[in-house]
Amino acid sequence: MLQTVVTPTSLAELRKALKQDSKAILTAGGTIVMPMVNQGAHGVETLISLGKLGLDAIAIKKGVATIGTAVPIAELGRHSELKFLLPVIDSIASPTIRNMATVGGNLFAKQPYGDLAVCLIALGAVATIAGAKTKRIAPVEEVTAKGLKLGELVTQISFTIPKPGTFKYTKAARRALNSASIVTVAAVLPIVKGVVANCRIALGGVAAKPVRAKSVEKLLEAKPLDYAHVKAAAAAAAKDISPFSDSYASAWYRSRVTPVHICRAILGEAANIN
Amino acid sequence: MKGSVVSLILNGVERETLVVPGTTLLSLLREHQSLTGTRRGCDQGTCGSCTVMVDGKPKLACLIPVETIVGARVETVENLALNNDLHPLQQAFIDGFATQCGFCTAGMIMAAKGLLAINPNPGRDDVIRAISGNVCRCTGYEAIVDAIMAAAKEMAKPLKKSA
Repeated sequence: MLQTVVTPTSLAELRKALKQDSKAILTAGGTIVMPMVNQGAHGVETLISLGKLGLDAIAIKKGVATIGTAVPIAELGRHSELKFLLPVIDSIASPTIRNMATVGGNLFAKQPYGDLAVCLIALGAVATIAGAKTKRIAPVEEVTAKGLKLGELVTQISFTIPKPGTFKYTKAARRALNSASIVTVAAVLPIVKGVVANCRIALGGVAAKPVRAKSVEKLLEAKPLDYAHVKAAAAAAAKDISPFSDSYASAWYRSRVTPVHICRAILGEAANIN
Repeated sequence: MKGSVVSLILNGVERETLVVPGTTLLSLLREHQSLTGTRRGCDQGTCGSCTVMVDGKPKLACLIPVETIVGARVETVENLALNNDLHPLQQAFIDGFATQCGFCTAGMIMAAKGLLAINPNPGRDDVIRAISGNVCRCTGYEAIVDAIMAAAKEMAKPLKKSA
């Protein structure tokens, strides 16, 4: 049963609260933690809110976006230079939830949720992590895969805004709106002299954690983005995923449709020619 | 377990409430302030029936521990009618038979109010997106979408000159 709810206004106050109860749970938007709290039998005694730490700013300098961990997902879409993320934002839960759920919280959403985290991995985003005494920077990919050490907190996330037209995204779900992922594909595909150069592809919904589709990336590198190359590369995704079954789709279905959605994300309508 | 006094601006009036730790905004409204227009549906953030405005944005009252929003402006469905005049959204729901059992109505109206605040002239698709987190188990969605469209039209009309 909850004994305390703390709303620190500085990192020092946050540390103090964590020292008093090392099992305290951090919450920002509340969309992940509060459903568990409301169900009861959670064993959490201390809830620490990240809402008043001042970690809610978006700054864009020289093409690099730096986003506070407590920025609500809806706010991302309101920024003029982050419009490329609108299809992503629109695909996550409902507008009401997006007014609450935060960018930082999305890194810790259990699959098949966490579509923004999948995009941040494709964008090569890095997280600034505040520890008890030190600060470190780690790829978002590492944070979602390994989690954080006790007492650490992601304070902000940074990424280079991709060149227009190079960011690709698709999410397959059971319903058009407000539905968890069957397969989420996010990719940054820069083209230099007609061929792919330094691409990054991330997948959601197809493993316990978001994954990099490294086998697909490898096959696409230095190739033109035509149907034959993309189809051959997408087929290699089987090596990168370990899908699960849930009430949205079976593991079998997820593995069958993953290459299809990779093709669709990258080629759009042209993926449907055969 | 130590209680605390939480101050909120509730429907325009500053109110102080003594709460136990982790009391949700929904419990504060319904159980402490007798504002039962806001409904408790799932308590999980999936049904939308507890939607209220917090600092001008629609949010789910069941997912907000009140200690985290001290000083916030909270608006509930009870605040929409002005004297005896219903809000255009409320009137449109009545005129368009957009309530069946009525359980989801307050949440639908508050989510719609949030949409009209940022998009006064929404298309049908915008309305469908805005209420995509609100569940109606009577499945009366078409009438609800129609009512929100009608209310937007009504609110866009220039104010009538008073006599």
